Amino acid sequence: MKIDPVFIWTAFVKLLSALPMTLFITAISVGAGLVIGSIIALLRIYKVPVLQHLAAFYVTFIRGTPMLMHLFLVYFGLPALIDAVSGAFGWTFKSSSVPILVFVLIAFSITAGAYLAEVIRSGILAIDKGQLEAAYAIGMKTPQALWRIVFPQAFAVSLPNLSNSLIGMLHGSTLAFTVTAVEIFAEANIVATTNWKYFESFIAAALLYWGITLLIEKAVAVLEKRINVYNRGGVA
Amino acid sequence: MGRRFEFGYILEFIPKLLDYLQITLLIVAASIALGLIVGLIVALPRMYHIPVLKRISAVYVSFFRGTPVLIQLFLIYYGLPELLKGLSIDASKVPVLAFVILTYGLHSGAFISEAIRAAVGAVDRGQVEAAYAIGMSGFEAFTRIVLPQAAAVSLPVFANLVIANLKDTSLAFTLGVMEMTGKSQTLGMTTQHFIEVYIALSLIYFVVSMILERLFLLAERRMLKYQPELAGHTSKKRLLQGLFLPQFKKGGEQA
Repeated sequence: MKIDPVFIWTAFVKLLSALPMTLFITAISVGAGLVIGSIIALLRIYKVPVLQHLAAFYVTFIRGTPMLMHLFLVYFGLPALIDAVSGAFGWTFKSSSVPILVFVLIAFSITAGAYLAEVIRSGILAIDKGQLEAAYAIGMKTPQALWRIVFPQAFAVSLPNLSNSLIGMLHGSTLAFTVTAVEIFAEANIVATTNWKYFESFIAAALLYWGITLLIEKAVAVLEKRINVYNRGGVA
Repeated sequence: MGRRFEFGYILEFIPKLLDYLQITLLIVAASIALGLIVGLIVALPRMYHIPVLKRISAVYVSFFRGTPVLIQLFLIYYGLPELLKGLSIDASKVPVLAFVILTYGLHSGAFISEAIRAAVGAVDRGQVEAAYAIGMSGFEAFTRIVLPQAAAVSLPVFANLVIANLKDTSLAFTLGVMEMTGKSQTLGMTTQHFIEVYIALSLIYFVVSMILERLFLLAERRMLKYQPELAGHTSKKRLLQGLFLPQFKKGGEQA
């Protein structure tokens, strides 16, 4: 079997049909992860009794176990839980009516939440306390001060980490193939097995992921330059 | 999907999975060892600004950091034998485990090379100059003066890489390697108690991660002994992170 360079292009075009799914999984899980992560980070920064320990446990546990485990636990555990609850209350709702993609999104959001919680926490802690005090001094309430003063600056500080997390979740979305969600990697597998051209298909998939990763890095670099304008120091 | 949840199965599965922990750890150890060699080789041209080679290094690092490890696994598993066939070498008898170790080695090599570059950059330039001043050669100055200091600086990053590598090994089952996750698949299939298997497996990964983290923390404190101000800083910061849940450490020690 010889390597067929033309088929790499053919496979690449076929893989593009699965690109929206990959981007969708990545975007939703990072989006939900940002919400979860912010809540977790605030619980820990403000040392909310009991909840801060739960939050810390969540972060440590998720970061200490493979992403694949989160997917499998949610994929196998949540339907059983839904059916048990549904059965106990006599509802007609069955877990089989929930699309697989929903479980994938829930699992990846849980993963992203833990990693982003640490990113957000370190970002917020990097902001000088004086900023918050100044916000209070001019009469802002805590949510206002956080939202308008602390978060924008923390965002700028943690942009490199956010970009890493985003790329990590993009690469992690390949795991969705294990539960038969058809994203780029699953599509590459299909193209590979139906045409019996494994190497070419995976080269195409690798190139596609590499391209998206480079795009994200470029976009973040541009954003970083823009967002840090306020922070350049000096007088003018 | 599966049978009723039974807590007893978790306890039953843990020892069965632990039998395969050694394969997982073998993959981690071998690929990190390979990754250290690859990482150093890849980092050198970029640190010493060797033309052409530094470009190749940069592309290598960008590729292995820019693509999912799952794709790299499949790429090397399916691609390498074909490339070797072109050189009339038969790779069909090579065990899958070798491909897996090679992939994870190349993957972590890219990350390790970046860690090495950052750490070497963090060593004060005066150290090299002092080494030259007492008559050391470039090689001696690097291996005897810069590298030991860089190793201490990069230990936290390295610890994260090892733990990430441990978690990544869970993907080796996709190629049919019988490590812990591979075993969990067969256990799940035969008993139909999937949730219990994955809970047991997660607990094992979690405990191993925690133990690795502790070990690296101890190593870091030892290696930074000669710089007490730095050691105090890092260990205090990371101890604080570890303090939030004392019961974890107990869990880690019991296991």
